[in-house]
Amino acid sequence: MRNKLFSLMFVLAISLTAFAQTSLKGRVIDEATQTPVVGAKVTLANQNISTTTNAAGEFSLLYLDAIDEEVLIEADGYVAALELVNLQAEQANRMDDIALQQDIVTQAQDEILLNLTEEEMTDDEGRSQSQASSSSASTDVFNSNTSFAWSTARYRNRGYQSNVENYYIEGLNFSSQERGQFNYSAMGGLNDASRYKEVLNPMEATNFTFGGIGQSTNYLMGASRYAQGWKVGAAGTNRNYKARVNATYASGVLPSGWAFTAQLAYRFSPYIDNKGIIGEGIKYYSLGYFFTAEKIWDNKRLKLLTFGAPTERGQNAAVTQEVYDLTGSNNYNPYWGYQNGQVRNSRIVKSFDPTVIAAFEYNIDEQQKMKVAAGYHYSWYSNSALNFYNAPDPRPDYYRNLPSFMWDGQIANPNNETSAQQLFDAAGNHYPWGLFIGEDMKGNSLGSGFEDPMTPGSWIGPSVDQEQYMNLVNLWRNRDNKTTQIDWDNIYASNYANNQTNPNGAARYILERRHNDIQELNASFNYVNTKYDHLKMTLGVEGKYSQGIHYKTIDDLLGGNQWIDIDAFADRDIKELASNSGFTQADIENVRKNEIRDGYNNVTLANGRHFGYDYRINMGNMKAWFQNEWNFNEVDLYYALAFEYNSMQRTTTMYNGRAWYLTTIAQNQDALNGTDNYWKYLGKKALDDLTNGRNNAPGNTLVGMEHSFLDPAFKLGLTYKINGRNRLKLNALAETRAPYARDAYISQRVHDRVVENIYTHDNAKNLTDFYAASEKVAAADLTYEFNYPVIRGRITGFFTQSWNGTELNGYYDDEARTFVNQAMTGIDKRYMGVEAAAAVKLGTYFTLTGVASVGDYRYTSDAIAVTSAENGMPMTQDQSTKALVFETKDKVLLKGLKLSTGPQVNASLKLSFFHPKMWFADITVSYHDWNYLSVAPSRRMQGLYTGTRMDGTAVNGWFGDENANAIQTTDGQLLRVNVDADGNATYENAVMDANGVPVLKYPYNIMTMQENIAATNPLNRFLIDASVGKLLYLPNRQSLSINLSVTNLTNNTHFKTGGYQQARLPRAVRQGELDYQNSIITANAWKYPSKYYYAWGANFFLTVTYKF
Amino acid sequence: MKTQKYLSYLVLGTLVLGLVSCEPKALTEEDVFVSEDKVAELTADGQVYDLNDFLDRFMTEEGTYHNDTTPYRERSYDATHGIYLYSVDTLPAGGPGIYIRGRITTDDYAGNFYKSIIIQQIVGGQQQNLRISVDLGSSAGMYQMGQEILIRCNGLAVGRYANQPQLCVPSYNNNIYAMNASQKVGWCPGRIPGPAFRKVAYMIGVPDVSKLQYDELTLAELYTQIELKPAATNMDAVRKMDGRLIRLKNVHFTGQYDDNGSLKNCDTTNPDTIGGGGANVFAPSTQNIGYPQSRVLGGQGTTSTIMCSNSEYAKFAYYYLPGADKTGVDNCNTYTGTVTGILGWYLDKASDLASNKLTGYEWSVTPRGIPGIGVEDISMTNDHDDPWIPKEYDPKDR
Repeated sequence: MRNKLFSLMFVLAISLTAFAQTSLKGRVIDEATQTPVVGAKVTLANQNISTTTNAAGEFSLLYLDAIDEEVLIEADGYVAALELVNLQAEQANRMDDIALQQDIVTQAQDEILLNLTEEEMTDDEGRSQSQASSSSASTDVFNSNTSFAWSTARYRNRGYQSNVENYYIEGLNFSSQERGQFNYSAMGGLNDASRYKEVLNPMEATNFTFGGIGQSTNYLMGASRYAQGWKVGAAGTNRNYKARVNATYASGVLPSGWAFTAQLAYRFSPYIDNKGIIGEGIKYYSLGYFFTAEKIWDNKRLKLLTFGAPTERGQNAAVTQEVYDLTGSNNYNPYWGYQNGQVRNSRIVKSFDPTVIAAFEYNIDEQQKMKVAAGYHYSWYSNSALNFYNAPDPRPDYYRNLPSFMWDGQIANPNNETSAQQLFDAAGNHYPWGLFIGEDMKGNSLGSGFEDPMTPGSWIGPSVDQEQYMNLVNLWRNRDNKTTQIDWDNIYASNYANNQTNPNGAARYILERRHNDIQELNASFNYVNTKYDHLKMTLGVEGKYSQGIHYKTIDDLLGGNQWIDIDAFADRDIKELASNSGFTQADIENVRKNEIRDGYNNVTLANGRHFGYDYRINMGNMKAWFQNEWNFNEVDLYYALAFEYNSMQRTTTMYNGRAWYLTTIAQNQDALNGTDNYWKYLGKKALDDLTNGRNNAPGNTLVGMEHSFLDPAFKLGLTYKINGRNRLKLNALAETRAPYARDAYISQRVHDRVVENIYTHDNAKNLTDFYAASEKVAAADLTYEFNYPVIRGRITGFFTQSWNGTELNGYYDDEARTFVNQAMTGIDKRYMGVEAAAAVKLGTYFTLTGVASVGDYRYTSDAIAVTSAENGMPMTQDQSTKALVFETKDKVLLKGLKLSTGPQVNASLKLSFFHPKMWFADITVSYHDWNYLSVAPSRRMQGLYTGTRMDGTAVNGWFGDENANAIQTTDGQLLRVNVDADGNATYENAVMDANGVPVLKYPYNIMTMQENIAATNPLNRFLIDASVGKLLYLPNRQSLSINLSVTNLTNNTHFKTGGYQQARLPRAVRQGELDYQNSIITANAWKYPSKYYYAWGANFFLTVTYKF
Repeated sequence: MKTQKYLSYLVLGTLVLGLVSCEPKALTEEDVFVSEDKVAELTADGQVYDLNDFLDRFMTEEGTYHNDTTPYRERSYDATHGIYLYSVDTLPAGGPGIYIRGRITTDDYAGNFYKSIIIQQIVGGQQQNLRISVDLGSSAGMYQMGQEILIRCNGLAVGRYANQPQLCVPSYNNNIYAMNASQKVGWCPGRIPGPAFRKVAYMIGVPDVSKLQYDELTLAELYTQIELKPAATNMDAVRKMDGRLIRLKNVHFTGQYDDNGSLKNCDTTNPDTIGGGGANVFAPSTQNIGYPQSRVLGGQGTTSTIMCSNSEYAKFAYYYLPGADKTGVDNCNTYTGTVTGILGWYLDKASDLASNKLTGYEWSVTPRGIPGIGVEDISMTNDHDDPWIPKEYDPKDR
């Protein structure tokens, strides 16, 4: 009885309150299915008040001004609707049901975008093409019109790398702790499951995390969000996969309070034997599943969800322009070949990310709510690759297999300026690649070469005669299978032959699988309090434990008997490794082993056993943050503060021989120099254990050093509402960021050593040292936003500066003649620019949208690089003492260079058509420019141009002139690169360009000039996309939709989307001279030319979806 | 309902299609090696030449490649005798097939052969050999010792590099930084590009090292077969001796090395020292210049000697010569045994031939490694109970 009384009183109180104020209620439904649309955003344009619809599709807005109001209703996957209402004072106003029409074009584009982001291309340097920024926010004109339209050009928001963006699922952080990136393949193909999300612009106030300088996205996957009913669909495309089928079922909220949603999506492409097509040599199989259950009762919700997408897909790679030209196709893929007449790709990614999440939301009262979530995620991710031992490199596009290699060393007298002009145009650019395929700029055949007019007796041309040269060219042009693809026949033959001659030896070739698994356990707590007038307080705590798991297994012995688990580089260099360290080969026999502890069987079979390396990176993360937001009539204000703790620790179950060797070398060096470095390669505990007889058996875990960081962050924002339709927003942020594990460990496969500034941090006794390893970031943006019935949009100016970044590179070094690791620290970057967008309604059917972004993203300092050989080879020799130098330190001349994070100038115009009879169409014309190639730090080392590194060591092979003088500047002075008090490079005697980069003669410009990869012909910088769709309403709330989306409609095959300079730098010893140091870099600076990614040519995506 | 039915068919059909995954079957030996039947089929359009016949038929003295308008190596021509030490003859790309076959005798694992394959053919019980210059790193991983190969030579070239006959392609040497560059710049035999070689080389069956034929002989016997100072008249026969696979019996390292035609005693100099050509190891460093280091082999019962040619990049480069140790080379003469390797003939100065300055050290034997396929079965003279145990140079010995 007492309960009933209380209930009655509660209802009365609410009713009285409702009558005492002006309010608005309504319901948003799907026009086709008549089911509620959950999570739709309802905004009163004139009063700037918004809310979202609940599980029943209902919304309620209280405390309103009684005026004529425009109600804007937006929801993912639907066309936005605008309704006019006349709000009656002190009444509970109620709108009729608002029926939203499905936006099948955007739905299809979201799906394409999701696929694009997971189809990274990787190559042998472990590089991958940067992902486009992919989260779209339907409520933001700029984001919603750039995320798809500019994805082909690999546009990135504000030029940021993807690791500054925050990806959450139901409030749980799902960005990798190792690399900072979000793994889209986790939900490959699950377009329906991932449809609903909150996307917040950089630095804006958020309610699920602290946020940062990048966008923050929170996927919302509660079952009640999904429209009730069945949805089945099929799609066909000519992209990497060819077809997709999917089915989704949503129960809606049942009377019991439960809601269930499930999706299955299967995408596939078998191998297709057709050279030159998009997805050449690629197979693709992916089965995505998603299941979510939600229980709603009282003021509580419990969400349980799981998803995953076991995927197997082939990869393709960036290649040099020469290869694209020779094969006549931007779709050339070097990773595959014919086996028994069938296509086989050597690079197969296998991934599966089963994820389970539980989230509980509790509305404590009208003014307080909280959410707790916990999740577990295991990511199996591996890719296969050919490995080989004492056998020819199997890559078809290996530089020695290309016609350009026939020119190697054939260019006479590189430093004779006049002569050099024979091969370079006035701007210092190398002649186009036509040079390598038969003729010079004048159309003369180069096959038989020609005499260098400036150096009589010197011959310029390929090293082989015309017939041989053209033979090789034609093998490429005709796409000869043995030449341009992986020669599986010879690979198997080599192994079968080896079984005869060396039955107990290592197979010559294997297909190995490199596993980069990660398991994550994360939890979050979020509390929102609106108890106080105008103030919203949000408190969040996030915790995450991740473990990166890295090892190799053998996929296929390719006919070989077994693989012997030793390191090929160390095996090859063992004589030098011995003599350089003052040992014999017998003394350092361990160096070639990947596990040196007694009892390890290095005979490896394709049985799933781990080999090569087997280590884990354990990472902890804890973040606490709070945010206060004040909302007033004219001004909104917020600030937020966060503290983030990160830790990382490497453990390994394999005691690598190079780690042992480097420890030994370091012990010797320590004794000589009075330093204390030897323990860094394994960690003090691991060494102590081994010394004391612990963990001496293979498989025992060696625990490395733990490194932990504490980083603060602060942000604030102010919104000034000029009126209901115009507002100004100002946001600012300052933070420090701990390095990611990927950038912290110099060679994590081999040893425990981290970049030096982390040791400085570990032993810090003052604040400066404590933050020696953290990147510091300061950022601000200013936005003007407008929202009228006919036009809406915004313009934003932004500025971000970061200091003290860390990057790690690895490459084959021709001076050290082995694989080296290069740790760069002290990297400063600046991102500034303007982004603008406006959508204009043109009558009933058309909308014209213009968006533009102009940025300037660049390095603002040089960096310090420490370079060391992975197998312990010395980097150089001290000229005077002849002492070997195992680690060099030099300045990397980065200052003024542009960041290679996509085009920095972007603009597009989109004309959309929508007919009430449910016809959709749009066409977008986009322009992209200022897209810069990723520079190789190895080509910009100061010592290359002065002969001396920052640490005083001489460079063996540098760009001096014939008399070993430093490079001269244009006015004839010698260039010297010095370092000022702030650690920045100063160019003594150099003539500077506008960016502060010295203007120098060949070859400096050739080596260091940063290429803008935008197409030479401005017309080819345009891309045109179009789509058309029709939605048919069928009886009984059924619907059928068809959509065709065509990207790069004009088949622009000149559009480069990215690329990088190869780090490998050619060196040539002056033959006939005895002085080891007096060698020169070969004149052939393009021996290892840049590699590029191209946009796909015209490609389509056709979807048919049926709802019932 | 009709729509549902059709769409169900569509989804089901697509699903079935997608599940058809076509993975290629593993290749078998039969798939990747050429059988004799296949050889007959492949060579039906032409002729398989014996190696010597091949040289006789296609390798001319002057070479057909260079002409008046293209430069060639200046010092390659001995005008006195009309001998060209460097030559290139291109083989017709079209026309009847020109084939050679032979079994590979080389192995580059130990690092003593670089981008060079030698094949052996037994004709009438006698070895015929030919060098093949191929730009393929670690070629022995693919073209292994004991492997018989068939090569279609059309479009390639045959020529002589420092008088060594070889299958090659015409190559322009433009190393203007080389010592005496003016004499070296020009056309000469060059390495066949890797893809071009893989395109024309077929592997016949699996390798069988037991089918390699070794000429076992003493140094004295060797010198009854080779000419120390060949003349123009017998140059053709001399050239064809190059590449023979021999087992040189009863030889010892004398502890000497060749210093531009004169013999010097090796000493204990650090092999890493610049210009340390005298250290008593197989191949002290040339500091990456890369020329072979010549160690002298003497024969029991003869005063004749021959060079043992080794690369500083060989894995055994820093092993002491048999009998040598940190104190010197005093005991070298006491260790005798067999050196197995490739007989080499190398003459790159026509002027030496013209002025009769040949020293005999134009001949050498190049071991493929130690032990096993190279310097082996060496022991204290007449005492097999005291075998030579390879020992590395150890900096700590200094």
